[in-house]
Amino acid sequence: MLDTYLQILVSGLAMGAIYTLTAKGLFIAHLATHKLNFGQGDFLMVGAFLSMSLIIAGIPVLLAALLVLIALGLLGWGLERLVIRPLDRFGISGGSTYSWILTTAGVALILQNIAELVWGKSSHYSPPLFSEGRDNVIEIAGINMFVEEILVIGFAAVVVAFFYYMLFRTRWGRAVYTVAFNPEAAMLLGINVRRTVVLVFVLASLLAGISGILVGPLITIHPHIGLMFTIKALAVAAIGGFSNPLGILIGGVLFGVAEAFSNYYDSAFGDLYPLIFVLVFLVFRPSGLFSEAQADVR
Amino acid sequence: MKRYVYILMAIAIGVFPLVVENTFYIYLAQTVAFTSIAVIGLNILLGLSGQMSLGQAGFYAVGAYASAILATNYGWPLYAAIPFALIVSGIAGTLVGLVALRTRGLYLAMATLAFGFIVEILSQRWVDLTGGTMGLMGVPTLDFGNFRMGPIYFFWVAGFTWLFVQIGSDYVFSSRWGRSLLAIKDSESFAQTVGLNVPIWRTGVFVLSAVLTGLAGTFFAHQNGFISSDAFSIQLSIALLVAVVIGGLGRSYGPVLGTLILLAIDEGTASLHDVSLMIYGGILLFVLLGFPEGAIGLVRKLMPSILSRALMAVPSSPAAAPLEEVFSQNRRRESVGLSIEAISKSYSGILAAQNVNLSVAPGTIHALIGPNGAGKSTVINVIAGLYGADSGRIRLGETYLTKLPAHKRARLGLARTFQNLQLIGSLPVLDNVLLGMERNVPRAGGFWRWLVDTNHERIARGQAMSILQFLGIEELAGHYPADLSYGHRKLVELARAVAQQPKVMLLDEPVAGINTHEVKEIGEAILKLRELGITVLLVEHNMDFVMRISDHITVLDYGLVIADGDPAEVRANPKVIEAYLGVEEETT
Repeated sequence: MLDTYLQILVSGLAMGAIYTLTAKGLFIAHLATHKLNFGQGDFLMVGAFLSMSLIIAGIPVLLAALLVLIALGLLGWGLERLVIRPLDRFGISGGSTYSWILTTAGVALILQNIAELVWGKSSHYSPPLFSEGRDNVIEIAGINMFVEEILVIGFAAVVVAFFYYMLFRTRWGRAVYTVAFNPEAAMLLGINVRRTVVLVFVLASLLAGISGILVGPLITIHPHIGLMFTIKALAVAAIGGFSNPLGILIGGVLFGVAEAFSNYYDSAFGDLYPLIFVLVFLVFRPSGLFSEAQADVR
Repeated sequence: MKRYVYILMAIAIGVFPLVVENTFYIYLAQTVAFTSIAVIGLNILLGLSGQMSLGQAGFYAVGAYASAILATNYGWPLYAAIPFALIVSGIAGTLVGLVALRTRGLYLAMATLAFGFIVEILSQRWVDLTGGTMGLMGVPTLDFGNFRMGPIYFFWVAGFTWLFVQIGSDYVFSSRWGRSLLAIKDSESFAQTVGLNVPIWRTGVFVLSAVLTGLAGTFFAHQNGFISSDAFSIQLSIALLVAVVIGGLGRSYGPVLGTLILLAIDEGTASLHDVSLMIYGGILLFVLLGFPEGAIGLVRKLMPSILSRALMAVPSSPAAAPLEEVFSQNRRRESVGLSIEAISKSYSGILAAQNVNLSVAPGTIHALIGPNGAGKSTVINVIAGLYGADSGRIRLGETYLTKLPAHKRARLGLARTFQNLQLIGSLPVLDNVLLGMERNVPRAGGFWRWLVDTNHERIARGQAMSILQFLGIEELAGHYPADLSYGHRKLVELARAVAQQPKVMLLDEPVAGINTHEVKEIGEAILKLRELGITVLLVEHNMDFVMRISDHITVLDYGLVIADGDPAEVRANPKVIEAYLGVEEETT
């Protein structure tokens, strides 16, 4: 019995790590620009499919990953350049303040359609990245665990650590926080605001790409898995209040684990309970786990 | 004018299925009619109140399933099943609206997206109830028992329901309702200070949009006799958004035009089924990046100006009503004082106001001054109700306000202006002033007056004009706030506050950042307010101005009252001199 629980826990942690990575992308974009990519999950889907095809074609995993990241980086750059920044010229008069939600969702639809055309509408299995077979298990303390899941958790932890390093220990991270605080002041301080913003979206899309590469072997992939990941990553980022990176880490891990157990107990509707829980949570803590509510007073 | 437009539309709906005998076109027209109803709901939600919903398909599904299940499995007649389905949609709207209340913008988009996703999953997997992807068979159709004429009857019901909803939408867009929603969209704290109960409005809009979308869902359920979960995916939510965006977001006729265009595109590209998502995505990008005002915006540009003037008769600048009429209520009323008793307020440990006592005598101009960071704005915001006090009481006349939310304080006669101006950018000056008057304008029969009268707000507009005249800015009535000088915007804010017919006015830095001439104008306006019996409490740094117009001055420093008295006393007070000397360079 304990074995089963531990196995579920590890699966939950693996998915939680994926959600955290995807949500970090939403967080960083929202931090710097108060906008984000509503197709984050679809970027993940593209990453998963590309990496699957490249690995099946016999390209070594590391090279495949590199190619996927280059493609996703370009996608992120294009997204900011072509469908987010141009909205600025309309100011408040044109359309709505939230046009970016619809333009990024529009790109997501186009990506889904392209994926349907290239890979078909059915589900695919991606070959494992680290181990020899999908069901390769390793015995730790007498319990069988999937190697793939353990390594996904480890790799995600490294990426998250690197992300924190970038954000809190580098000049670039400080630039992001300065832009977030006040773009005009940042410009006066000599920060290239546009480049920072572009980089933020590139990074967000790289995080989706890494998530996609990692998640491919854990689940079945099809062109419409993106929406589910977008929703869950948004939920995780909301638990962290979109402002607290630690909250997102905790939120992601909790969400993944809660989902794994909830799926175990109710295979029909298991994936719904964590989502409903987050919605209710938002009613009581609208600004997330750690942030204080701020009054809108000018 | 609009009466005739509506009559023409009603005739068109009546004649259409008799002239067009092709059942396929009738079927399409049915779909346009009821889908437009859902899109109107979204247009009011997003276009007017600024609340994003990515989960409208959820409400549509709730309405469709509730009605279909009751009619099919429980044998309810449609005239009972449909209204009940609307109630169920309304309840769903209330639940989502409650989440919406606590969240804004992005969070709301996420919450509604999740709501739509949850409903989609439930309709797919709760097969016992919904039939899942296999669907519910034998749902009664809305044909009044006449199989041959059924589609025509259905079209008439859907068409006239649409017309009814469209008229309601037009009314919302061109009356105080729309204005209030725009105010809430732009600034909630502002909306509160003109007396709007923001949470009720925001939830109310959600419920309205849920009911309209659910209504469209019930039509859908009873159109073909079959529904399955495939119809209620996220793609439907996106399609409704696409329709509202193509038509022109925030325009009353955007939804019907957008639905028509979207369905035409759908039919025209039916053979390109493989790329339907790409078409939707492409339309979103094309319209939002190229034509953010949508089809209505284009039609307006292309329409001959005579026709557009006739159709969109904007009431011309109204004649100003006599000022006596506007302030008759004030004259009859006694002036009222304001007292603040031992108010304290701290922000995470820093005391911004300590035990502040302040008594504003009825009908006087009272100034609250002090160096930067002395706690003046805190006191103003605590009085207005935007911040809660940690302790102490606030009394307006004989009424204690301490426990009341901001909008109730406003209704009791407390008006304010903001240090950073709060004007609604999407409304012209006159309408901004009208926002202040909402509480005083009689509401009964508003709809009928609007229906028969092109200038249904004649009286209120006249009064607003008269207030602008009173402040010497009547020529600005038709301009938008963004086109005005800073000083003029300050005057417009003052006009809006005057329009609230307040007993007490709180002015937060009324002359900061404006030129000497304008300072004089505003000073004169404030003196005139006192003549009208309005009590004024103002915060200001401009000492000449304060000394010239105030009857009484209270000085704050580090959250404490350090002096209180008439201008001459305060000027001579050594504590005040000390407090100001150290910061002379900074305040200038």
